[in-house]
Amino acid sequence: MRVGILSFAHLHAEGYQSILKQMPGVELVGFSHSIPEEAQAYSERFGLRAFSSDQSLLAEGLDGVIVCSENAHHLESVQQAAQAKCHILCEKPIETNEPDAQAMRVACEKNQVHFMTAFPMRFAPSTQAVRQTIQAGQLGSIFGINGINHSEIPKAHRAWFADKGLAGGGAVMDHVVHLADLLRWYFEAEISEVYAEIDNLFYPSEVSVDTAGLLLLKLSNGIQASIDCSWSRPIWYPRWGHLKMEIVGDQGTAVMDSFAQSISVFARGAPRNPTWIGWGPDANRSMLEEWVSSIREKRAPSVGWNDGYQALRVALAAYQSASSQTPVIL
Amino acid sequence: MRVGIVGAGVMGEVHANAWRSTEATLMGCTAANLEQAARLAQQHNIKVYQNHTELLRDIDIVDICVPTYDHKSLVLQAAAAGKHVICEKPIALNVPDGLEMIAACEKAGVRLFIAMVVRFFPQYKLSRELFAKGQIGKLGVVRLKRVSYPPQKPTDNWYADDSRSGGMVVDLMIHDFDYARWLGGEIERVYARLNRAEAGIKQYAQAILRYKNGSMALIEGGWAYPPGVFRTALDISGTDGVIEWNSDAQAPVYTFTLTREGSSSAVGLPLAGLSDDPYSLEIQHAYRCIQNGEPFAVTPQDGLEALRIALAAKESIASGKPVNL
Repeated sequence: MRVGILSFAHLHAEGYQSILKQMPGVELVGFSHSIPEEAQAYSERFGLRAFSSDQSLLAEGLDGVIVCSENAHHLESVQQAAQAKCHILCEKPIETNEPDAQAMRVACEKNQVHFMTAFPMRFAPSTQAVRQTIQAGQLGSIFGINGINHSEIPKAHRAWFADKGLAGGGAVMDHVVHLADLLRWYFEAEISEVYAEIDNLFYPSEVSVDTAGLLLLKLSNGIQASIDCSWSRPIWYPRWGHLKMEIVGDQGTAVMDSFAQSISVFARGAPRNPTWIGWGPDANRSMLEEWVSSIREKRAPSVGWNDGYQALRVALAAYQSASSQTPVIL
Repeated sequence: MRVGIVGAGVMGEVHANAWRSTEATLMGCTAANLEQAARLAQQHNIKVYQNHTELLRDIDIVDICVPTYDHKSLVLQAAAAGKHVICEKPIALNVPDGLEMIAACEKAGVRLFIAMVVRFFPQYKLSRELFAKGQIGKLGVVRLKRVSYPPQKPTDNWYADDSRSGGMVVDLMIHDFDYARWLGGEIERVYARLNRAEAGIKQYAQAILRYKNGSMALIEGGWAYPPGVFRTALDISGTDGVIEWNSDAQAPVYTFTLTREGSSSAVGLPLAGLSDDPYSLEIQHAYRCIQNGEPFAVTPQDGLEALRIALAAKESIASGKPVNL
């Protein structure tokens, strides 16, 4: 199977390339990247063939591509990949607005290619265990979920994350979709109501996007959930951040800290001291395995376009709620 | 000074122990249930008074540890008798009652202390101090958790009666509403949600507060956990750093011992006395301030403002809309 990566704009491209190179039966042909100096640097660093445009990479005749361009460029990348009859794994959020997200679906349907949304947390053993616990009824009837996806500001890794035009927003656009997707997946329900307070509380003089966000949601099954998506961890925090959920039911509570499996390293002169280095299973690897299997088995992947779309709608509703100071019904 | 306690339930007992750590003379106690009062009196070798009026004759400070719905009448009586008052939280069930209590004490020239004990928990106090010193910069997002098992009572569980306790949002979450306000100042608006069990009092709530200064807070509260489980946490993030603490953190001592059967190990509970008792710190503070005429670290107005936020959260839960304060 021949695959490629459309753009190295997203940080995750670095991890994906490393996993793909190790996967049996998978050939990573190369990556496209529109900025020549950056393309050159990534090419040297990772030993990969760089293509100056999506078209030139797609002309190699690939089975699938991972779309790692800036959020606002996803539609363009997806349309080209679909025309080239490539199956697609697309970074989250899938786009920055609903019409563009819909246009992606149309392009994939028209060209009969599968679209997978990159929601790696569905492939983490922690979330899978929690889902099983909930669905087996061990927590009884659920009252609510307290969800946290904190991180540092990602602009040190890639500046466009804090650029409204390219990212579509800041912390809310970056993080809400992960927890929104987990909620939909745990309960097989939709998010029906969104209230949010959003602001740029952490870097008011450095960036113009939102860096703080608190959401309070209602699901179609009546369950409530909060999401804290803030870029509230300092860059000297022991790790980039974390993903945590507490699920409170009338028969029990489950507490999840997906990245809890880490060692604490105290190294002289380290920028983070201590540094928490994870040793748990790599959810990205499991996600890529599912994507590759779905292409090999000529079937739809377990996470589709609609999952990415519904999660995006929650993030967009949050912005709408914050500006109108009123709950938004989905 | 001479002190009397009204109420001989859990809080009466906790406060009686706390008074033992001061120089005050604990004269006696009274309660609606005189048998309960007798038990408390026996434990502390103090007198049982037949009623509040009798108690007030013998003391300088009355410590009111009765259910919330009785706070107002007892505080008004104490003020009329010219006695200083320590009153458990929440100050009252509604704002007008609280205002009346505060006014009565002011008019009578007696001190009124509302026992917002979370301000005296060392880790909460320290976190606020470090924040106030500017160690984490300007306030960003505050997260506070307080989820416990449903309160139990052998008879007449008044906690379960919204009209007498104000419900979980008023009785329990008020602690964190007060702490949030102590950290970041006045609140602009509140949006909250609550889900409750179809039967019984189990419930879980989440509230988003928006401060007048733009910062925001998420307050989580519940009577939802299995019996014996009570978890609290704080996470205060600012422009220059973060303060984190949660009650899952290890105690300075914990033990693993064989069970009686000798077949498996059981987790032992932390020993008492491993940290300062917040209730003693609270009573010591209130007593010192009354003796010396110093201002309280938490004023009756603070107690009232916390109630106002809690009531706004309830209103939001009922209406499904954010409520402006």
